[in-house]
Amino acid sequence: MRPLIVFQPILFFKVSSYPEVPEIPADQNADDSEQPAPPADGINTPLPRPVDRTAVEYLPPTLSVLEQNIHSAKTPGEKFFPSFAVTEGLEEKANERIAQYPEDQKRSAVLPLLHEVQHRFGYISPESIDWVADKLDIEPMKVVEVVTFYPGFRQKAPGKLHIRVCRTLSCAMGGSYELMDKLCEIARIDRNASDPHKDPIAVSPCGNYSVEFAECLASCGTAPVCLVNDDFHEGVTCDKAKELLNSYQNA
Amino acid sequence: MSITYEQGKKPHPNEHRLIFKNVDRRGWNPSIKRYLKEDGYEMLKKALRMDPKDVINEVKTSGLRGRGGAGFPTGIKWGFIPPDNTKPVYLICNCDESEPGTFKDRYIVHQDPHQLIEGMIISAHAVGAHTAYIYIREEFPEAAITLEKAIQEAKENSFLGENILGSGFDLEIYVHRGAAAYICGEETGLIESLEGKRPYPRIKPPYFPAAIGLYMAPTIVNNVESLCHVVHIMRMGGDEYVKLGTPRNSGTRILCVSGDVEKPGYFEVEVGKITFRELLYDMCGGPKDGREFKAVIPGGSSSKILRCNETFKIGRGDDAKDMDFWDIPLDFDTLAAAGSMAGSGGVIVMDDSRRMSWVLNNITHFYAHESCGQCTPCREGSTWMKKVSDRIEGGTATPTDVDTLEQIAYQIDGKTVCAFGEASSWPVEAMIDKFRDELVGETSEDNNFKSKERIEQEKFLSSV
Repeated sequence: MRPLIVFQPILFFKVSSYPEVPEIPADQNADDSEQPAPPADGINTPLPRPVDRTAVEYLPPTLSVLEQNIHSAKTPGEKFFPSFAVTEGLEEKANERIAQYPEDQKRSAVLPLLHEVQHRFGYISPESIDWVADKLDIEPMKVVEVVTFYPGFRQKAPGKLHIRVCRTLSCAMGGSYELMDKLCEIARIDRNASDPHKDPIAVSPCGNYSVEFAECLASCGTAPVCLVNDDFHEGVTCDKAKELLNSYQNA
Repeated sequence: MSITYEQGKKPHPNEHRLIFKNVDRRGWNPSIKRYLKEDGYEMLKKALRMDPKDVINEVKTSGLRGRGGAGFPTGIKWGFIPPDNTKPVYLICNCDESEPGTFKDRYIVHQDPHQLIEGMIISAHAVGAHTAYIYIREEFPEAAITLEKAIQEAKENSFLGENILGSGFDLEIYVHRGAAAYICGEETGLIESLEGKRPYPRIKPPYFPAAIGLYMAPTIVNNVESLCHVVHIMRMGGDEYVKLGTPRNSGTRILCVSGDVEKPGYFEVEVGKITFRELLYDMCGGPKDGREFKAVIPGGSSSKILRCNETFKIGRGDDAKDMDFWDIPLDFDTLAAAGSMAGSGGVIVMDDSRRMSWVLNNITHFYAHESCGQCTPCREGSTWMKKVSDRIEGGTATPTDVDTLEQIAYQIDGKTVCAFGEASSWPVEAMIDKFRDELVGETSEDNNFKSKERIEQEKFLSSV
């Protein structure tokens, strides 16, 4: 039986002081004949409710809207990234970035700081949101609204190689959809497993690869193009997909 | 000294290279050493000796029009800073190149960053800015590093920092990375994003950036290409520069051709001197695999599509004359008269193998993904357009769906805070206007929604 979630008074200040997010099994393929299959993508599907409905009249929703928005779903790619910790290097780089803006406008550094976090830890976790908010003396919600708006910020770990394929007109004419299919086939990724609008990143079961469709990468003349982590590749037709992934074999 | 280019990257004889002089050049690298070898930063020295007002006047004389999409005269924009201003002035370089079809800024920031920095210092001197930001899109991680390195090099050579070259003028340039949002290309959206918020564009009036911009202070936002042109205006002088191109459309501009042509790529040409025929047949080598050209999007995906077998009436009153599509010169005014726009110079070409419903569907997906969600008509409308075009593309639409799509598009026009509402509806309107028959041809009356009862009824009646 899943533990029953007890209602807790909601604290409005610290994001990470919310009740512990229930663990969602990482391995979806685990043989689990006794229990019903766990929900396909963690947070969007409500967890099964306890059978005894007389115990609690009105159950609070499993996760509040805010919790859902900051929640980092578990992915197989996690093992390649360190968990969030404030290191000296990060602190130093953050101070350097904050100094680029007027003293009374520290909020401007939200994007650069989030980039620093994502670069080091792979994705934006709830703890890192708190840290950025603390660093800039703003409410965590102001960081959350930025994280949830920009497609450039990830809230779950990608694969070791995160591949962004351009899907906009010129690249689509050049065959980027075929490229995506080929990449998914090689990396054994099922892109249909989740709603691409809510969760655009699909991670391979081994955690080595993840794919995402990006909008116009501004190199339409050399279509189709893709970004692998921070490296740009142009003219990647679907027959070159294998070659592209192989070139990272030693990395 | 003659300039040689990399194998296969030689500019076409019709080109006139100013900005792209060093792109794909043999022996060129983005370091300051290489840039200084060829009179780099000489124009900065010249500009610093001039009065800022004279620099602005020089740019006004040159007739330079913004290369970001709207085509607004740069010199006039600079003149909008209130004369009684007491706040700090900011200069922002808009390097959020995200308009589908456009890829000119990529080569400038990757291969010739010092040209941009020199242009920025001159422009900052002209408008009196002491802090400047380069807002670069997240998808250019390499360029952000290149630019930061270039800024460091410029600082070491005293072209940046305090008291630049002993002139008493101070300037700091910082690189600010965006995070993959198309809306950040809109100048007020960009400013909001730079302030660390969601990039919801501000309403104009009153938030004209030149008066109330970044941190509520006067701010000048210019495209990468526009800022680079400033260097060449200083070198040639406004009077000489205005002779390039055609009247009211002076200078050179970079056309980025992509899609179904033999040789896609970038071409820097004098504005208005090149027609579609010259561009697509002579410079791009014509259509692929013996096909025929069908349609062209002339200025990034938000501009209205043009059919290749169309004839346009250009001019007013008695001066009006019929012009074939192929004879249209690619300048701001003629393209506007033809019902489209020059935009950011991204020419996307489609040949007769393309289904227009597929093209339309791809474009509506883009705008549905990128609408920032601030204004209801654009947020809801773009999603509706996506859904309806999904149906047309998938062959499950009824003929009235095309009308519905058109209605939705016209309901977005002019009802949003920023111009991106129109950016999402114009391509749809134009596509329906020009290719209605083809779109309707992919629909079917059979797809009309029928209730279960109706189907039962029809089944019963047909079996009798």
